[in-house]
Amino acid sequence: MKPPAFEYVVAETVEEATARLAEYGDDARPIAGGQSLVPMMNFRLVSPAVLIDIRKIAPPDTIEEADGHVRIGALTRHRALETSPLIADRFPVVTAAMKHVAHLAIRNRGTIGGSLCHADPAAELPAIAVLLDARISVARQGGERTIEARDFFEGALWTAVGDDEIVTRIDLPLLPPGAGWGFHEFARRHGDFGLAGAAATVTKSAGRATEVRIALLGVGETPVRAHAAEALLTGSDFGPDAVAAAAVAVRDGIDPTDDLHASADYRRHLAGVLAERALADAWGRAGNGAS
Amino acid sequence: MERIDISLSVNGTTYERSVEPRRLLSDFLRDDLRLTGTHVGCEHGVCGACTVLLDGDSVRSCLTFAVQCDGASIRTVEGLGEIGALDPLQESFRKHHALQCGFCTPGMLMTAVDLLAKYPLSTDDEIREGLSGNLCRCTGYVNIVSAVREAAAARGNDKA
Amino acid sequence: MSGIATAGAADVARPGIVGARVQRREDPRLLTGRGTYVDDRKVDGAVHIAFCRSDRAHARIGRIDAAGARQAPGVLGVFTAGDIDAVARPIRATSNMPDYRATELEPLARGKVRYVGEPVVAVVAENRYLAEDAAGLVSVDYDPLPEVTDPEAALEDRALLHESAGTNVIAAREFARGDVDGAMAGAAIVVEDRFRIRRKTPSAIENRSCLAEFEAGRQALTLHASTQVPGLLRDALAEIFDLPGRRLRVVAPDVGGGFGAKASLYPEEVVVCALAMRLGRPVKWTSDRMEDLTATSQAFDEIVRARLALEPDGRFVALDADVIGDVGAYSIYPWTASLEPVQVVSFLPGPYRLQNYRGRVRAVATSKAPMGPYRGVGRPISTFVMERLVDMAAKKLAMDPAELRARNLVRDDEFPYKSGSGIVWDRSGFQDCLRSALDRFGYAQRRTEQAAARNEGRLVGIGIASYAELTGIGSRISAAPGMPINTGTERATIEIDSTGGVTAAFGIASHGQGLETTLAQIVAEELGVRVEDVEIIHGDSAAVAHSTGTYASRSTVLAGGAATLSARALRKQAIEAASYLLEAAEADIEMRGGVISVAGTDSSITLRELARAFYTEMRRIPKEARESLELSASATYDPFFGTTTGATHVAEVEVDPQTFGVTVRNYVVAEDCGRIVNPMIVDGQVHGGVAQGIGAALYEEVVHDESGQILTGSFVDYVVPSAAEIPDMAVIHLETESPSTLGGYRGMGEGGTIGAPAAIANAVADALSGLDARVNELPITPDRLFRLIRDAEQRKGESRYEA
Ligand SMILES: Cc1cc2nc3c(=O)[nH]c(=O)nc-3n(C[C@H](O)[C@H](O)[C@H](O)COP(=O)(O)OP(=O)(O)OC[C@H]3O[C@@H](n4cnc5c(N)ncnc54)[C@H](O)[C@@H]3O)c2cc1C
Ligand code: FES
Ligand code: FES
Repeated sequence: MKPPAFEYVVAETVEEATARLAEYGDDARPIAGGQSLVPMMNFRLVSPAVLIDIRKIAPPDTIEEADGHVRIGALTRHRALETSPLIADRFPVVTAAMKHVAHLAIRNRGTIGGSLCHADPAAELPAIAVLLDARISVARQGGERTIEARDFFEGALWTAVGDDEIVTRIDLPLLPPGAGWGFHEFARRHGDFGLAGAAATVTKSAGRATEVRIALLGVGETPVRAHAAEALLTGSDFGPDAVAAAAVAVRDGIDPTDDLHASADYRRHLAGVLAERALADAWGRAGNGAS
Repeated sequence: MERIDISLSVNGTTYERSVEPRRLLSDFLRDDLRLTGTHVGCEHGVCGACTVLLDGDSVRSCLTFAVQCDGASIRTVEGLGEIGALDPLQESFRKHHALQCGFCTPGMLMTAVDLLAKYPLSTDDEIREGLSGNLCRCTGYVNIVSAVREAAAARGNDKA
Repeated sequence: MSGIATAGAADVARPGIVGARVQRREDPRLLTGRGTYVDDRKVDGAVHIAFCRSDRAHARIGRIDAAGARQAPGVLGVFTAGDIDAVARPIRATSNMPDYRATELEPLARGKVRYVGEPVVAVVAENRYLAEDAAGLVSVDYDPLPEVTDPEAALEDRALLHESAGTNVIAAREFARGDVDGAMAGAAIVVEDRFRIRRKTPSAIENRSCLAEFEAGRQALTLHASTQVPGLLRDALAEIFDLPGRRLRVVAPDVGGGFGAKASLYPEEVVVCALAMRLGRPVKWTSDRMEDLTATSQAFDEIVRARLALEPDGRFVALDADVIGDVGAYSIYPWTASLEPVQVVSFLPGPYRLQNYRGRVRAVATSKAPMGPYRGVGRPISTFVMERLVDMAAKKLAMDPAELRARNLVRDDEFPYKSGSGIVWDRSGFQDCLRSALDRFGYAQRRTEQAAARNEGRLVGIGIASYAELTGIGSRISAAPGMPINTGTERATIEIDSTGGVTAAFGIASHGQGLETTLAQIVAEELGVRVEDVEIIHGDSAAVAHSTGTYASRSTVLAGGAATLSARALRKQAIEAASYLLEAAEADIEMRGGVISVAGTDSSITLRELARAFYTEMRRIPKEARESLELSASATYDPFFGTTTGATHVAEVEVDPQTFGVTVRNYVVAEDCGRIVNPMIVDGQVHGGVAQGIGAALYEEVVHDESGQILTGSFVDYVVPSAAEIPDMAVIHLETESPSTLGGYRGMGEGGTIGAPAAIANAVADALSGLDARVNELPITPDRLFRLIRDAEQRKGESRYEA
């Protein structure tokens, strides 16, 4: 299991990286943390002719707040997200999710941009991006565009990012004050990709939910929002019947497949269970703030 | 493929070598520098046997290319204590019989060094989750957890 | 958390070196990265192999196009079956068992391939990167043959894997004792089920690795291999290459775990040797994890239909079982394909009083990696089946499962006891193990807590497993049925050199068990020197005239016995030599801690002084004595039969009623492993064994699809549990010294893995006891549990689940 040969180029700026990508076309691949790309190369599942190392693009590990959102540099490492006080304060759901991402040695290297671009259907950060309506900025030579998270993931290991583009940053719009959150995932072994997972946020006012979001991972080709369930719960008092109905809607709204670790039926069941748990936590944590 | 010149420090010694870009750091350490204490168990990031410290952070040397380490400082198991002068973590592993075949041990030690630096490790659950990226087939982990627990407690005493 | 039950008292009574928590001498080198595993051996000029392996389960090999690969950078050659056959004789694992059909070991597949992962072409290049590049350029045409993947379908012989065998059933056997049918017919209660345990792979963290170096001048071959059986390989390779043993040396240096996976001869080992001779360069192959998960021997793959009949008071009256072992594509050398399945039927009656037994077994060849030994060999399966039956019976009788076991376990006054399958249990604390494990677990209290938890809707379960095994097997019984290889003796040679250093050479090969330490303890105690004075040589075929290696829980008993005998012989001679120097009668001389002294006086010499006098200072000991004495002794030990090791495991689990995740909350092992050499090491063996057993029960499974493709070729998909999944555990040692072995030792390296699958399965079944859920298949994955519970609830008509 040794990687195939490639040419190695270091890009120190976004411009340099995108110029190189334009130059080499789809023979080239950016490498960030390498925690998904290198295993695939070692198995010889991919063999890029050129690797463009983008880790040196400054500034690394940026997480800052600016008018209504938190902006995260694409090269921010998992470990920085895990330990960021700003993230813990504004998006505790992200901090909670990071506890499920791999292991310290992998979090020390892996980046948020790499995780989004790798687009494993069971990865946490893509689901979080979808949950939080992230806006993902991508650059190519001479241009930049923003992709909404809901349009970003096109299939398993497949995104809207072009061969000549790199992700530069992720903007997470702040949640309404008092928003509660929940994150539940079930993996066979600690740190593994989950068989399924659910993340939720709930905003409530006068005992009723004013906004509900549920994102699921591991239940299809891409992370998904459970829109039907969200709609059922919005305006509700989160009574047992409402939550049970939402869980049914979660299950009905997904189309998982059988694989080595879980049957479609079990995944569907699990998604409902985890969504219920995430919703219960989110409801419990939501402040009756905005009244 | 063209080789690239790199210079890096391993356990305090500077090495200058010319490497193929695809050379994994694990192979570079083991074959080029003959530092065979770093082991390879899977080459896809799961077993943790190849864990080393790269600029102070634990990383999988099987998922890192040597060329990416130009200018970096690396610490491997050979950079901990020596025979006759084990460091406290190694001593704790020995005392608690936290190794049998010893193959996972270098990765366990380097992971534990990083965990001890970054986490409180105040409960066994935290220790177990911290070690969960390092597979051991011999010990059933019981004694590894004891060894790290003791090292974590000793660390507290040092600080006090 | 090591237990002490009776060990505490024993420690006080025996303040020697044997029995002490001596720190391991292996540790300093392994902790500092200074061990030498095979792949750490870097020799100049070495070239590397990458194998092209079959991607078909069963196919005829057509054209092999290697032209591109031959031209690739750094390539020295591309080799196929014919190249190896030209220098290597075929070898087959023979057995004198009736109804056994040997299959030939083909180092590289010839004519057809029989499993995905089978080596077909060997590409040799300057390094592994280049070898893999070139291997990717080889193309092999295959003509597909009918699939032979499902063991039950393969029984029908519609398609044959080995035409020469004439059937896929390559081994079969039946044990019968008493009147099973009569007893069944008259029994008050019968419980039965079809049990399935799914294929595992031992997955030592060090992948297999071998390096062959051929010295043209001496025409001598040295193989460094990550193996448990260097002696066995030496003998096999001598035959294959027609070389005398003195020009063939097999060395197992530090070995990163084996668990049985490294106890057989592998095709790759033959290929590196053949190519080293052909190319005149050292040839190395180090397996990667994908190769390990597809082509290293696999195990624990049986279907067992079994019935247990009981009297109303719970007495077992009859047991009937039919076992199908899915043994994979080849009969592994030297153990044969019968090894595991036959063990299943041999050990099924367990440590219980039971006189009517019938066990039938068929070993079926299928398109999978060959089945080989794996920690526990067969007994994890037999214990799983029997202990499930016992719990099922307890439930039917509304009797506490602990009580039912107590009523049936062989009692102390009944030893030696001949089991239903004819195994003789010499003497072991079966009842004591059960009692001690339950006490330590706090059984009564926990049952009360369990009831309370159940009232809260929590699924908490307690599972017990009792078993017995034969360890330290001597020459009377073979480690594998009918195998023409002597695994029943061990020889040790101990020498005092001219500096007073003590070197003891053994045929065993330690690969994590700490034998360098435990054997040094035994030699030190018996000889009367300090542990640190003793150097242990092992894992080197050149160090002894005959050896096999380390497997089957044999090393402490056999090598320990040989160490004891040879140390005693050496001590006698050393004392005699010393008598000339001390001018005292031998009877008055004692040797302790490397000092030889005359009792009751302050007259003494050190071993070093004795050695100098004996070897160098020619005037101090008379010529006749120097000629007749030797500061060296060899002895062979043969326990002849072997001894019994018994144990009880108790596990507590909690099942999440919604996600179906199983958490092991508590684990206790009470094991009778006889006299203990080093309690620290014994605990470690139990911990590791239990962790593998928990893996077998809940996590690990080699999965093939219907076409025989293997789906678990990475550590992402073959789930070896981590520290987060394995609980803390308590280990209690009952040191009933074995009456059958020298020193009273019993083997205990495998037990953890034998008891854990059954204990976990029973605990999960107990957690679900409110449902009519049949826990009869391992591993119990969340998905299986989901389906099990859904099916059970659907039967009761109260499904909570969609779809
Ligand atoms: C053992 C193990 C367990 C893991 N467990 C988990 C887990 O539980 N959950 C989880 O989410 N992840 C897990 N991961 C994956 C890990 O989180 C990766 O770090 C992450 O998926 C990829 O980030 P990276 O920076 O390493 O990306 P890389 O591996 O460098 O790149 C991944 C892909 O993204 C592309 N890419 C990277 N950055 C950019 C960019 N800025 N713009 C455009 N394309 C880019 C690359 O070309 C490549 O195709 C695990 C990995 C391992 C080895
Ligand atoms: S060898 Fe790097 S994680 Fe296994
Ligand atoms: S000590 Fe052998 S793998 Fe951990």
